[in-house]
Amino acid sequence: MDEYSIGVLTNIGLFSFLALSAYLLLIAGEMSFGQQAFFGVGAYSGGMLTAIYGVPLPFAALAAMASGALVALLVGLPTLRLRGLYFAMATLAAAEMARILFELLHFQHEIDGELVGPDGTQGFRGIRWVFERGVEPLDYLAIVYSLLVTVLAAFLLVERSRLGVTLRSVGADPELAASIGVNVNRMKLGVAAAAGALAALGGVLYAHHNTYIEPRNFDIMLGVHSLAYALIGGLGTAFGPLLGVLVDLGLLEGTRVFQGYRMIVFGGLVAVLLLFRPRGLLDERVVHWLRARFS
Amino acid sequence: MAKSALFLILGLLSFPLHAQRVQAGLACTFTGTDFVYDCVVRLARGGSPLAGAQVTVGADMPSMPMAHNVKPAKAKPGARPGEYEARLDLEMTGEWAVKLRLSGPVRDQLVLHYEFDEKGARPAARPAKRK
Amino acid sequence: MLADLIQNTLDGLTGGAAYALLAVGFTLIFGVLRRVNLSYGAAIMFGVYFATWTSLNFQVGLAALAALTIAGAVLAGAYVERLCFAPHYRSRGSPRASSGSIAAMVASFALWMQFEEAAILALPKHLYAFPPLHAGEPLRFGQFFLRVEALYLLLAAVAVCALLHTILYRTRFGLAVRAVIDVPVAAQLAGINVSWVFVRIFALASAIGGLAGFLIAASHEQVTPMLGMWATIKGMLAMMLGGLGSLPGAVAGGLVLGLLEAHSQWFFGPQMRDLIAYLLIFALLALRPAWMTRWTSTRSAS
Repeated sequence: MDEYSIGVLTNIGLFSFLALSAYLLLIAGEMSFGQQAFFGVGAYSGGMLTAIYGVPLPFAALAAMASGALVALLVGLPTLRLRGLYFAMATLAAAEMARILFELLHFQHEIDGELVGPDGTQGFRGIRWVFERGVEPLDYLAIVYSLLVTVLAAFLLVERSRLGVTLRSVGADPELAASIGVNVNRMKLGVAAAAGALAALGGVLYAHHNTYIEPRNFDIMLGVHSLAYALIGGLGTAFGPLLGVLVDLGLLEGTRVFQGYRMIVFGGLVAVLLLFRPRGLLDERVVHWLRARFS
Repeated sequence: MAKSALFLILGLLSFPLHAQRVQAGLACTFTGTDFVYDCVVRLARGGSPLAGAQVTVGADMPSMPMAHNVKPAKAKPGARPGEYEARLDLEMTGEWAVKLRLSGPVRDQLVLHYEFDEKGARPAARPAKRK
Repeated sequence: MLADLIQNTLDGLTGGAAYALLAVGFTLIFGVLRRVNLSYGAAIMFGVYFATWTSLNFQVGLAALAALTIAGAVLAGAYVERLCFAPHYRSRGSPRASSGSIAAMVASFALWMQFEEAAILALPKHLYAFPPLHAGEPLRFGQFFLRVEALYLLLAAVAVCALLHTILYRTRFGLAVRAVIDVPVAAQLAGINVSWVFVRIFALASAIGGLAGFLIAASHEQVTPMLGMWATIKGMLAMMLGGLGSLPGAVAGGLVLGLLEAHSQWFFGPQMRDLIAYLLIFALLALRPAWMTRWTSTRSAS
């Protein structure tokens, strides 16, 4: 497989984390325009830990996930009372604040005669932990997908469990859920933290794949894209967001035919698709049908 | 797969193989066809030109991430050692983040910000802030 | 110090009037259709680019350019309305309504992507000149400057508000609109063609957006493909500041945003300017959701 295809596949895997993060919030009933902020938090914190302090990537990734969860709670706590568009706008405001804070972040140390670290709008170059250890692109692809498969397995386990049903009930009708004793606030905070950690994991992996990140990478476009991926792939199963990412990055980046027209084609596809399937390709009805057929 | 697992474990314990950083410069001229540029990449390491590397040149637009679709081009060795030539087919003018991926004797990845216009490419002064 | 404050206020009015116009368009769609149109800014950009392309290839006057921008925006808006929002008109009020609203919003985002790429394909350079609204010196009041463009924008904002007020309170159409806003089911039972109201409101909002786009492009004297994103974000922020769903609130929100930005930028720089605006929105949403939702208290925003 040539390096370009490996790169495309890796990107699909990386953005799947972000799409899953948006998906998690969607099935809990909240629409977030801000998951890209946690992606960025993971990227910056993980990158700083490996590039400036030489922390090995696995530990840096764990720390990145923890910081993503923490920041997600910082955003989730004040916004607990908000629903719908208000919540969405709050997450958008929070995410843009995070992006501006990245622009203001100047934290460089001198290592081997070179300045390493985030330099505001100039970005953060030299996140080369993976390169310096001779990890081949194919190996990195394997790492990304092993982690993704683990996350998917966790999702599938949760979906079938009582926790998953409770989660969806909170998403569908929080008042009803509360009336049967579900602690809606605690669920929402838990979901927010989990989604934040998930996005942050994607972020730290992205930073090390790209070796260079800048605040502009984590703007609103990324956030709305991830929301779109989750929605068009379908909200019935964790495979939905993956499908969404695959359709955009995989199908359309892979076909040279659409060079220069990719967004026009993709945009039209999405709009038409949502006409017929407002809950995505793999929505709850399809998933139920599939489960009934194959079990 | 075993190889990658081994590397992970080694990575936890070992020191980085400290390669000296590669320095890169870019010079592009507009070919006349929208928006194709003939580019020359100059690579140096530790002050002397770096020859014999396999260079792939890609590009993304920082102000519109993921919106473009520029296929990475493999560079051919150029006239002088340390020089590599590639043709970049961009979708529009403006500021691009040119990504150089090096393999061969040296593995590295560099990102350079350049402003592309009708004449060629100049290093971008500072990444422009969106309005 | 005081002089700075006054000058900043004057500067802020220019931006604020533009934001007010954008917010009014957003609010019309949200207040009546109960939907967020993410491609509002992009449709405006489509209109502006249409006018730009024309001005690059033909000699046209400012009035013609304004008309072209408005026409382009209305056309783009109609496309969005038909594809994203119209199909969900039937299911309003049903249990599937909220999924319809998210789907409509994401679909409108998808069309935003289309508009942006179409604009880049038509005019590939990152920056284009737009004919100026007023070629000349700003007005002087003693030591203070006021750009003439600000007056045009303020005038437009006032005119649009007066027009909307007249339409809403003095015409049968306006009566129908107000009925639809208050109780759509009853309006439908009373024989009002709700879909037709939506279509016309959408067109009106697009036209207002087109006017805003023309004035903004002409006062900045340049256009970039980022205009769509910019207009969408600022319009939504201003709409939120004024309280979702209120037209006077939209205008107030726009002006407040403009003033806030002008003062923040002067004292803290451009990054802090945006940071402060976002912080304010976040704080308002977190602390006083009742205040923000006062105009939509009978219905949820989802």
